[in-house]
Amino acid sequence: MKRFAMTTMVVLAACLLLAPGWAWAAGGGASELVVVADTRIIDNGLMRYVANLYNTDVTLFATWAVVLTAFWGAFLGFLMDFCMKRTGLDLNSRKIVEH
Amino acid sequence: MKLAKPMIPITALLAMFLLAAGAFASEVSQGKTVAYDEAAKTIQIEEYDTNFSDDHRYGQPTGIVSDYDLAKAKVGIPPAAGDVVRIAYDLDGERKVAIKVMNVSKQDLRKK
Amino acid sequence: MDTASWLYMYMPIAGVNIFWPGLVLIGFSVGVIGGFFGMGGAWMVTPGLNILGFPMAFAIGTDMAHIAGKSMISTMRHSKFGNVDYKLGLVMLVGTMIGIECGAQIVMYLERLGQIGSVVRWVYVGFLALISWMVFYDYYKAVSKKRAGVVEGEHGTEGITWYKTLHKIRIPPMVHFKHAGFVCSAWLPIFVSFLTGVLAGFLGIGGGLLRMPALVYLIGCPTHIAVGTDLFEVMISGLYGAFTYAIKGRIELVAVFVMLTGAAIGAQIGTVATKYAKGYGIRLAFGIAVVCCMISIVLKQYGFSAPAAVLILSTITLICLYIIKIMFQGAAQELRDKKAGTQAQM
Repeated sequence: MKRFAMTTMVVLAACLLLAPGWAWAAGGGASELVVVADTRIIDNGLMRYVANLYNTDVTLFATWAVVLTAFWGAFLGFLMDFCMKRTGLDLNSRKIVEH
Repeated sequence: MKLAKPMIPITALLAMFLLAAGAFASEVSQGKTVAYDEAAKTIQIEEYDTNFSDDHRYGQPTGIVSDYDLAKAKVGIPPAAGDVVRIAYDLDGERKVAIKVMNVSKQDLRKK
Repeated sequence: MDTASWLYMYMPIAGVNIFWPGLVLIGFSVGVIGGFFGMGGAWMVTPGLNILGFPMAFAIGTDMAHIAGKSMISTMRHSKFGNVDYKLGLVMLVGTMIGIECGAQIVMYLERLGQIGSVVRWVYVGFLALISWMVFYDYYKAVSKKRAGVVEGEHGTEGITWYKTLHKIRIPPMVHFKHAGFVCSAWLPIFVSFLTGVLAGFLGIGGGLLRMPALVYLIGCPTHIAVGTDLFEVMISGLYGAFTYAIKGRIELVAVFVMLTGAAIGAQIGTVATKYAKGYGIRLAFGIAVVCCMISIVLKQYGFSAPAAVLILSTITLICLYIIKIMFQGAAQELRDKKAGTQAQM
């Protein structure tokens, strides 16, 4: 069963690598899509800042995106750990019912 | 908590970036392409406002016609006359220097 | 849309109005389901976001960033990765990162051609068909074994030893991975992680679902080290994936944050529920959820966006409610027992 799964995955990955080739052969080659965030209709200051950054300096935008995501994830991790300790449930030992 | 120490200089660095970025506040405008000159790298559009409705999905024409310098701009699908474009630009005195040009009408069809 | 406009949130970058309760629901469910089954659950985020109205490239990029955040949550919660063969992790990172970049480039290329939506949707249909088949097959095998009274060993009865053959390929540099305990050509983990990386970058998934079996069956890594190493891979590659999609401008930060918050809460419920889950019934529910997700992608492909959204959202809601029920019943029981225990001691 696992053998079948692995084979399928390898085939799927190979298809993906070939896909652009096929698409190109089918008649392609077009210009890149550029997206401009419409800052005219954003009122929220923070969102406006982010959207503006997206328009002007995408490298900085990307750095912010990664750092903020990582920070927010880490913060939520700490927070949740803290909250779960308060529930009084024993989360360290786990009865494994199946397997 | 072990992470806290290296985070301080990183945060400081980012704060500096943030302050630096405050300098490039750009503007955005949207409108119908009147003329696009690929060789001269300029575009002229008739600006639309932000009163969107079912009949005017991209806003109502304002009648204001403005020119943009595309020398440094990243242009997506080349706009044809009549295409609605959205331009992010900086003001250099009176001149409008485009940063990015999005072809709104042609991109809408492709994204679905 | 005017009457219910408060239900829609404007996404500043993608420039679309999104039904935000759907966004919260997807984040929350991914947390619950991922926490419960111990695998990402990211497979439903990309199609889910696309069905809610995000352009496909944005759906993939946003999913990728949300994975990075989620892996941070789990790393922080356990304060460590567990058993990681860092040497193997670093070698694989090369392949994974190049793979993700290739996947992302394919996405951007297809976007230029205007075929991104349908190609990714069909690849997803194939991918989900594979997952559901695996789940149903496992269920069938478990049930028939139980009936026959066979007790399976810890490592399963059928041993796949592909890695033994693969270890014989001696293309230099040969590397000894001490912690994992084997010697092989560095190209083997690089190649395997490259393939999983391409799929991860293309579909916007963490790749744990693919990398875990690949580590065990193709590279020959012991299971406990595979788990830790995979977590390490997911975090670093997720952050890289988020960065590369952000540079390409295909990320919607607002959605990432909304989903991440939902996922953090959901994951706790899912993880706690694992403690109390019994039997294989829930596996069946999971398989059905995958099939429903697949059907909704097909519906979306043929332009039935509203039924697709209803189907996917109601499916994940139902499975979440089921898991939440398991959690509350189990937790209430445990707290009651605890109370009874302390009272008995007094």
